[in-house]
Amino acid sequence: MCNIYLVDDDQDVLDSLSWMLGGLGLSTLSYLDANQFLSAVDLNKPGIAILDIQMPNMDGLALLNHIKQYNSPLSVIMLTGHGTISMAVQAIQNGAMDFIEKPVDGGKLCQLLQVAKQQTLASFNRQDHDKEVKIRIASLTPREHEVMLQVLEGKLNKVIAAELNIAQRTIELHRQKVLLKMKVSNATELANLMAMSRHSTLGV
Amino acid sequence: MNRLLLALTLFFIASPSHAKDPIRVGILSFATPEVVFQRWKPTFDRVGSEIDQRFTLLALTPVELQEQVAQQKLDFIISNALTSVTLKKDYGASSLLTLLPLHSVEPDGAVGSAIITRADIAIDQLDDLTQFAVVSSDPKAFGGFQIMAGELALAGINPFSDLKDLSFVGFPQNKLLDLVVSGEADVAILPSCVLESAINSGHIAAGKLKVVLQHDHQNYDCLASSELYPSYAFSKLGYTDHKLATQIVRALLSIDKNDKEAQLGRYQYWSAPVNDSHVFGLLKTLNKWPFVTNWAFLLKGAIPWVIGSFIFLLLGYLHHLRVKRLVVLRTHALSAEIELHQLTQKSLYEQQKQFYKAQRILLTGEMASGIAHELNQPLAGIRYLTQGCLYRLTPEQGELDTALNKVIQQVDRAQSTIKRFRQFCQQPSVYETCDLVMLINETLNLMSPELKRVQITALLTLTEVSTVADISLLQQVLVNLIRNSLDAMENRPTPALSITLSEHNQQAIISIQDNGIGLSEVALSRLFFPFETSKQNGLGLGMVICKRIIEEHRGNIFATFLNDDNTQGLNITFSLPINIHNATIETSRKSAHV
Repeated sequence: MCNIYLVDDDQDVLDSLSWMLGGLGLSTLSYLDANQFLSAVDLNKPGIAILDIQMPNMDGLALLNHIKQYNSPLSVIMLTGHGTISMAVQAIQNGAMDFIEKPVDGGKLCQLLQVAKQQTLASFNRQDHDKEVKIRIASLTPREHEVMLQVLEGKLNKVIAAELNIAQRTIELHRQKVLLKMKVSNATELANLMAMSRHSTLGV
Repeated sequence: MNRLLLALTLFFIASPSHAKDPIRVGILSFATPEVVFQRWKPTFDRVGSEIDQRFTLLALTPVELQEQVAQQKLDFIISNALTSVTLKKDYGASSLLTLLPLHSVEPDGAVGSAIITRADIAIDQLDDLTQFAVVSSDPKAFGGFQIMAGELALAGINPFSDLKDLSFVGFPQNKLLDLVVSGEADVAILPSCVLESAINSGHIAAGKLKVVLQHDHQNYDCLASSELYPSYAFSKLGYTDHKLATQIVRALLSIDKNDKEAQLGRYQYWSAPVNDSHVFGLLKTLNKWPFVTNWAFLLKGAIPWVIGSFIFLLLGYLHHLRVKRLVVLRTHALSAEIELHQLTQKSLYEQQKQFYKAQRILLTGEMASGIAHELNQPLAGIRYLTQGCLYRLTPEQGELDTALNKVIQQVDRAQSTIKRFRQFCQQPSVYETCDLVMLINETLNLMSPELKRVQITALLTLTEVSTVADISLLQQVLVNLIRNSLDAMENRPTPALSITLSEHNQQAIISIQDNGIGLSEVALSRLFFPFETSKQNGLGLGMVICKRIIEEHRGNIFATFLNDDNTQGLNITFSLPINIHNATIETSRKSAHV
């Protein structure tokens, strides 16, 4: 359901970490450097990446930046034996879920992975949901879109009718169409849907 | 010298040579000019009319005579034998004729000196003169002093120091006789024949005075106490026309002792020049004695030299003073310079010391860090594996559980030791405002011996940028990077190092570019890893330290290897954010490890 990716330039460390996680019943995928990881992993899918910081070419922090800029739902945990506070701050600011010191205790890592799994799935679902909402919004006609914006502002049909200078009956029809297309049953649900979506700005 | 110099010019009526310059004849004399002219005018009137020339007669004292001769103002000279030979010696005057005065028979024995005293005084030898009051007319008088001075000198007596009571009373000569007669003086030194003349003229009564220490001279009418010398000589100067001299000599020789000119001139006739060797002898004798040194003349002659020397010495002294002052100033400047140099050297030495201290600390820290990392990896592996084993234990393998947990404890213990060790080696950073241009220049200054060794001058392109940073740490970075560049260019024929400092997007960008051997791709990718080195004795921590420091300053560092036709070499660039907020500085003051 949710892959765990290990990236570390030390093969022994990779092997032992995956052996430990294997003991916990978690299967992992190991990569010796950032490029290997990037060429093998689909960043659009949910997953958990455990990154070492000190690596040749693209280091862990750079890889983190790359992942986050890609707007990937991946949860990233930085795992380093050589970290400083400034590195940690930088990593967290750049969207890492956690910054932990190597070697990490299996139990602690397991808990973290649970959280990470939830996060990546939530993130993936939200992205999925956003995509869906986007598609629904795209199916609206311009007039319907206009009416939806008014509805979201909490205005009554007659007010909208007056502002858009259309018959109230027509507004009611548009409103029903919008609810139908957006797959909600009433205005409150519509507002909820839009609020959850990061595309609620409706920049279609 | 108060004496008036009177020149009498004789004009000859009906002379066709009116326009000609008169012939100047200098006559040595102590008498007044009138007396001199009375004596010599008739003679030169006659000569003048015979040769159709005019004469100017000048009565001169010895000093004046010598002056005029020196200035070439005279054509002919009439002077006593001693002066004549002196002028002959000094100015090349040649003696043309010798005068035969009255009372004389031989021209080479015509003048002597007489020691005259009262009849009652007994003087048997020259030494006796030292007891008496002696008078003479003038130290320059020939018969009146110099001849006798010569005699005294030969007897080993210095008239000026040995004759206790010697005085010069001047002219006329009869005055000296009067002094002796009156008892004011005991002895008078006078030319021979003066006493005889005085007696003849009735000025002095015969028998009152006598001539002592008489020399026996044949063919001489007067009594003398000395050798006899020639009388006046007529000399021409070297530059005087010899034809004119011949004409004048001819005219002078034609004068007979019965002619009125000779009688007025108190001489018998002019004779051919006589042997003057004994006059030279006298001159030599006198010259040996400093008392005849013509101080006045010498002084006068010497004055320009003295003044010249004085001015020269003064100038020399002034020059000396100036040089001395310059030396003092230069010495001051030099010592100041030396002091400054020493100070500079001292501060450079201090800087270097500081630098090496900082480097040592950084290296220690980095080494600890590196070792820690290297140990941390296998320890992590062990821990992971052990925990993995633990997870795979079946309930029957309970014994192993305890052991494996102890393995984990041991690993954790080892790691905490490593961590503490690493923290111990970590140094807190000190942040302050840092002028990067100044920092770069100071660093190059610090490294000047190394730059000199490679014979290289860094090409600088710097813009003014300041930031807040730990200066000594940044200096470590610069020194490490520059030293790497220098090492890479060790065997390059034309090493070139350029350092650029610019500002871009609130970042100070410092770039160091060399044309050295560069790095392989693998080495470049592992450039900032500990214990990775291409140097034989390198630790492989320099670049790690650089990266650590730059990252601590929230900057970035990266290396690019340029290898195209034009440029080859490594470029290392790092950026530092400008305007770091003080708050963030406080938090990062301690760079502890997570």
